[in-house]
Amino acid sequence: MVNKIKVKNLSCYYNKQCVLNSLNINILQHEILSIIGPANSGKTTFLRTLNRMNDLNVNYSRKGEIYLDNNNIFFMNMESLRKRIGMLFEMPIPLPMSIYDNIVYAPKLLNIVSNKSDQDAMVEKVLKNVSLWNEVKDRLNSSAMKISGGQQQRLCIARILAINPEVILFDEPCSGLDPISTAKVEESMIRLKQKYTIVLVTNNVKQASRVSDKTAFFLMGKLIEINETGKLFISPQKKQTGDYITGRFG
Amino acid sequence: MIKLSPRLSQKISYLLLFLATVLAIVPGLLIISIIIAKGKDVFFAWDFLTLMPINGMLDGGIFPAIIGTLLLIIITIFLSLPIGIGAAIYLNEYAKDNLLTRMIKLSIVNLAGVPSIVYGLFGLGIFVMYLKLGVSIIAGVLTLSVMELPVIITTSRSALKSVPYLFREASLSLGVSRWDTIKYIVLPNAIPGILTGVILSIARIAGETAPLLFTAVAFYTPYLPHSIYDQVMILPYHLYITATQIPNIGKDRIFATAFMLLMIVLTMNFIAIIIRIYFRKNRKW
Ligand SMILES: Nc1ncnc2c1ncn2[C@@H]1O[C@H](COP(=O)(O)OP(=O)(O)O)[C@@H](O)[C@H]1O
Ligand SMILES: [Mg+2]
Repeated sequence: MVNKIKVKNLSCYYNKQCVLNSLNINILQHEILSIIGPANSGKTTFLRTLNRMNDLNVNYSRKGEIYLDNNNIFFMNMESLRKRIGMLFEMPIPLPMSIYDNIVYAPKLLNIVSNKSDQDAMVEKVLKNVSLWNEVKDRLNSSAMKISGGQQQRLCIARILAINPEVILFDEPCSGLDPISTAKVEESMIRLKQKYTIVLVTNNVKQASRVSDKTAFFLMGKLIEINETGKLFISPQKKQTGDYITGRFG
Repeated sequence: MIKLSPRLSQKISYLLLFLATVLAIVPGLLIISIIIAKGKDVFFAWDFLTLMPINGMLDGGIFPAIIGTLLLIIITIFLSLPIGIGAAIYLNEYAKDNLLTRMIKLSIVNLAGVPSIVYGLFGLGIFVMYLKLGVSIIAGVLTLSVMELPVIITTSRSALKSVPYLFREASLSLGVSRWDTIKYIVLPNAIPGILTGVILSIARIAGETAPLLFTAVAFYTPYLPHSIYDQVMILPYHLYITATQIPNIGKDRIFATAFMLLMIVLTMNFIAIIIRIYFRKNRKW
């Protein structure tokens, strides 16, 4: 298997305060890596460093390197990096426009599609990929703000698929969703694995064990343990990991 | 102390609040209705609005003053709106939050509070005398623009701020550039707020005399301006001189002039309200 992302000695700071401490992680192509850990352990910061969303934050600084296919992402153009590494936020954030426009918005600006029939085809394809097509096909032109939270979150996934990234980052994508919506989102994630490399931050330990190939445990800005999901859950090497997954703290 | 029953004290406070509202509204309504009542005959004779003044302004109309006021408003909008919005975009979307930016923001807020006569004197010194533009439309427009810019920047910035930051993040996270995000996400959602604020503030300058007194205004011109280097008559100043400097003038002519000024201001406020309603209805969040 090929390494898709290599993180070398990454440390991140807000206002000079260290929130991620010398992190080293390799992420393989077409695997789902779950990141678990209690709140404030730096999981979101890690994701927002991967696609450089945090570079806009003036209080934020970092050290270390991250390679995407052996290219240092901190030397890459931010727009083309984010096109390759899509990100789904904790809360669904549909753009204030129609369902249809939410999907074609970025591809149009990035010149991925031009004519209307290509756009139509793309909208149908990505909505089917997240099992949303049947639910919204009759109201593609109504506002994306009006569908349910679970549908919005799947629309946001579809929107990412439309720019055809290589890596997708999920930041606790189901924390605000009911169990049925959660199941649908998980289903889409597993299907996506064949084409994309996925990093999934989740506060739900069971979710990590259900969907991921590998799991990493973060605690207070440190990577405590990373292993194949089955092994990590059956025989964690570190005591903190075991305590966390059995629910003894955090 | 007398203890009032909750019902009674509720009633009394309701009454007091209602009285306060009435007190706030009545003077305004009175002014408007008196102006309309006393000015309507001359106003609706239309001649008054379309003729040049004659006989030392005792007869004829106020046409050049209307044109002058409208010209100043319109050119000022076209000059200050793009600059103001541009500055607001820079300050809100691009500028790093450092000492310099904070000082600029602070001084803009303070500039918005400077008395208009100070801007008038500034315009006289810089545009009329130093740049040798003379007392002219262009000098007046520049002065008004300098005076309006802090207001436009401040209203535009708050309109930009009201667009949730998350929308920007969502757009950026899809690989869309910052400028495209501003163009397609931020601005469309901020424009109604910007326009409403700007039109209201321009409506205010329609009635300003002080910044134009030394920079653009003519006591009397027998012709319409031919170029932006000409002086103009304006409604508020015309109102002032007819009311104070010209004895024997018919009071109804003065009221009709006030009526016209009122119409311009009300029309602009009305446009602002229409814009706001229109965009509210189409807003998707
Ligand atoms: N924008 C920010 N500014 C300052 N501190 C932040 C910011 N975002 C997160 N932090 C701090 O960084 C630490 C890690 O946060 P985060 O990465 O959000 O953790 P997690 O996603 O695991 O809950 C926390 O202590 C949090 O308070
Ligand atoms: Mg988080």
